[in-house]
Amino acid sequence: MTAPTAQLARPKESAPPSGSLELGTELPMVGEAAVPFLEIETLRAKEFIPAAKEALGSLIAEQGHAKVIRPVFNWAGRNSLFPLHWGLACCAIEFAAAFGARWDAERFGVVPRSSPRQCDVMIVNGTVTWKVAHKLITLYEQMPEPKWVIAMGNCATGGGPFRTAYSVVPGVDKLVPVDVYIAGCPPRPEAMLDGILELEKLIRERKE
Amino acid sequence: MQPDDLTGVLAPKLGVRLKGVEPFPGTAGRVRFEREAALDLFRAVRDDLGFRHLSMVGGIDWVDHREVFYVLWSDDAKQYLVLSTDVPADDPRVETASSVWPSANWHEREAWELVGIVFDHHPDLRHLLTPDGYEFRPLLRSFKLHEPEELEVKARHV
Repeated sequence: MTAPTAQLARPKESAPPSGSLELGTELPMVGEAAVPFLEIETLRAKEFIPAAKEALGSLIAEQGHAKVIRPVFNWAGRNSLFPLHWGLACCAIEFAAAFGARWDAERFGVVPRSSPRQCDVMIVNGTVTWKVAHKLITLYEQMPEPKWVIAMGNCATGGGPFRTAYSVVPGVDKLVPVDVYIAGCPPRPEAMLDGILELEKLIRERKE
Repeated sequence: MQPDDLTGVLAPKLGVRLKGVEPFPGTAGRVRFEREAALDLFRAVRDDLGFRHLSMVGGIDWVDHREVFYVLWSDDAKQYLVLSTDVPADDPRVETASSVWPSANWHEREAWELVGIVFDHHPDLRHLLTPDGYEFRPLLRSFKLHEPEELEVKARHV
């Protein structure tokens, strides 16, 4: 067994290592297959784009803009829901855990953003006090349309155990319109993901 | 440090405005004083007795009157000290301690907004926990637990 690796390192029946730089002889399969493939695709695209434009235009004229384009927007929107990255109380711990390695909310396209200008959905995760109420409304108004609100946990849903307290808003729906309520004190990350999937169902049926 | 030691230092400075020093569990004592003597007492306690750290300022509603208390800590004696004064419920005023211990600032804001104690010459007597313009004093015994809707109507207009 003297130096078997040295024999294996050189391919069988290979050309000698020197004097083999002619492209036509060295790489015949790549050069012959790739170029006609690209040319055919380019020609097809040149024909396809005007044809597709014409077909799509007639389809829109026939069935209406909302029926043809709106599902595409809904499909894109519901699969890239960006929630506002903020936390009010202990539900924010579960909110943060949902984006960790174990539950990984990013597989649903849910990526928390730090600026309300880049967000689609506000997840109200915690107790809302009257002191923070106008800041919450400001953040909501800074989000671009279309936008949704998820009330996460009992406090955001209805005030929770602090409902009759002097400083707590009894439900965030007193301040902003809420689309999905998630029960729990706090809800587990699975429950939060379930609420996001419920919101995706709402967006799927969105008409206007 | 015992209550008698405290009396020996404070009585010459305050005179009749010192209402007494009584034992209080876990502390060096509980100093009862007239509210007019507040600033003199604060300076004497900090400079002569060495209580340089103010842990807490609070108010208690005893319905017929209110009480303001201060909890102090001395790093030299390793002891707490409680100062306490009574203020009438219809005129709950006391001189601020924030000129002697700056940490009194936020504690007094909290005691003002929750129990309604007014601290004279406070540099910045604003709301701390409740929204600006919130008129209620929620930790008073006369404050009724509101229905959420009723409170919402009141709090919305602040």
